[in-house]
Amino acid sequence: MWNPYEPLSARTTRVLGVSAVLFVLLAWTVLSASGWISQNKLPSPWRVVKAFSYLAWDSVNQRSLLWDATLWSVGRVLAAGLLVIAIGIPIGVLMGASPRVNSALSPLVDPFRSAPVVALLPIMVMWFGIGEWMKVLFLFFGAVVFLIPMVRDAVRAVPQAYWISARDLGASPFEAVWHAVLPLAMPRIADAVIVGISVMWTYITVAEYVNAGEGLGQLISNARRFSAMDQVFAGIIVIIAFALLSYQLMHFIKARLYPWETKL
Amino acid sequence: MSAAVGISVELKDIIQEYPHKDGKGVLRVVSGVSMTLDRPGIIMLLGPSGCGKSTILHMMGGVRPIGVQTPTSGTVLIDGVPCSEAHDDAVMVFQRYANRPDLSVEDNVSFPFRLKHWRTRVAPAEAKSRVDAMLKAVGLDGHRRHLPSQLSGGQNQRVALARALVLKPRILLMDEPFGALDAQTRTEMQALLSVMLETNPCLVVFVTHDVTEALLLGDRVIVLSAQPAVIADDFAILEPRPRSATWQRSSEALKMEERILAQLHSASPGRGSLRVSV
Repeated sequence: MWNPYEPLSARTTRVLGVSAVLFVLLAWTVLSASGWISQNKLPSPWRVVKAFSYLAWDSVNQRSLLWDATLWSVGRVLAAGLLVIAIGIPIGVLMGASPRVNSALSPLVDPFRSAPVVALLPIMVMWFGIGEWMKVLFLFFGAVVFLIPMVRDAVRAVPQAYWISARDLGASPFEAVWHAVLPLAMPRIADAVIVGISVMWTYITVAEYVNAGEGLGQLISNARRFSAMDQVFAGIIVIIAFALLSYQLMHFIKARLYPWETKL
Repeated sequence: MSAAVGISVELKDIIQEYPHKDGKGVLRVVSGVSMTLDRPGIIMLLGPSGCGKSTILHMMGGVRPIGVQTPTSGTVLIDGVPCSEAHDDAVMVFQRYANRPDLSVEDNVSFPFRLKHWRTRVAPAEAKSRVDAMLKAVGLDGHRRHLPSQLSGGQNQRVALARALVLKPRILLMDEPFGALDAQTRTEMQALLSVMLETNPCLVVFVTHDVTEALLLGDRVIVLSAQPAVIADDFAILEPRPRSATWQRSSEALKMEERILAQLHSASPGRGSLRVSV
């Protein structure tokens, strides 16, 4: 039992995981059926499933709230994700490649890792209004403050021997970074992107809190306003599912791009 | 060994100091080392751990660590010219090979030709034929599409050796190149190096901890003292390579071995950190 290195079979892993989930579902069902907690506070799993199916297809209005909301949220995460990759990675690489750049930028970047990003929302609203830009920039900001230090550390984690060896073979300092350090940092830079995108899913509800007509976050805050706890639960589960799905997808892509990584 | 390659490496009164780790004062690692290496062959550089062997090797290659002036005083002359930058004459081979894990064997060996410096000096066709010949010579022709992770330690070191020799350097600087290999593989690599030098004659400066290796490969053995290093001993081995097991057990070889060990032991009185495999 207490052997951290014990190899588990796929079956054991699955059985343990599924039974834990089943146990929670069972406890949830019992708890909500017992009547100790009102259905408004803790809807039963069945009601959440019904809410989910209503959100998935509203037969009265002939539309899928969930589909529309998901498209909007995914779109915002993608837009912010592209911004994070296009702006965050170059900044992190520059900081990692040059201690001078790092000394200059790190006081501007690092403190925000522990800053209450959510508290910045009112400022973002003041600066960028309540439109689409504000939401995307909020997501961007929340993720990029994590991504930049991770990218920097990824570059710095490459052993100096690679840089020295490339220099010895005739590379200019920049070439040594470009041809010897950066390629080796790529898997960990990909990890930084994965963390950045995952962080965005946790901020999506906040981003869509202000003046969103659509989106999963808006769907949840709307449902809460009408005390539709079952819909709140369904919305949260959908967000978690998408966060997990994108996480798995990104890991799959990363493994394809850098098959040599684990063997470094 | 063919004497076709004229080369001279001269160290004059090299002193090297590093700032202390606690930030106070300096640590003297090399204390006035002078040597003249002026003919092709293998120069074995021995000494106790931390005596500055690698530092001296890096100086010869013109590879500068960051933030420290090297050497603190003294000069390194290559063919009589002071050397202050990484230069074409010398290429290094490291213990940890520094192969790009994302590139195939072939791309690793042709890696230098991606760099502007060599692109402007070696035509692509010439580069290709050099790489092909080198892959055959080190016995990796059948592995050219493999990634370094699919190779053994010895094969990875072959890649590093090929990548160095493909530039036709006049000086090959080897920093404990076989130190991380198992005994069997080390023997193979030592034999390969001997053979490779027949066809690619150059001046090899070879840093090692291993007295047996020094006696097996060296045309000349330079023993450094403990930190701060001075030259403790310097002698030639005239026995031609490959050196037989009989010679290695001869009284001549045993005397040399004792001579080196005596220096290494006196170099580090009472220190348990001496790493010598005998």
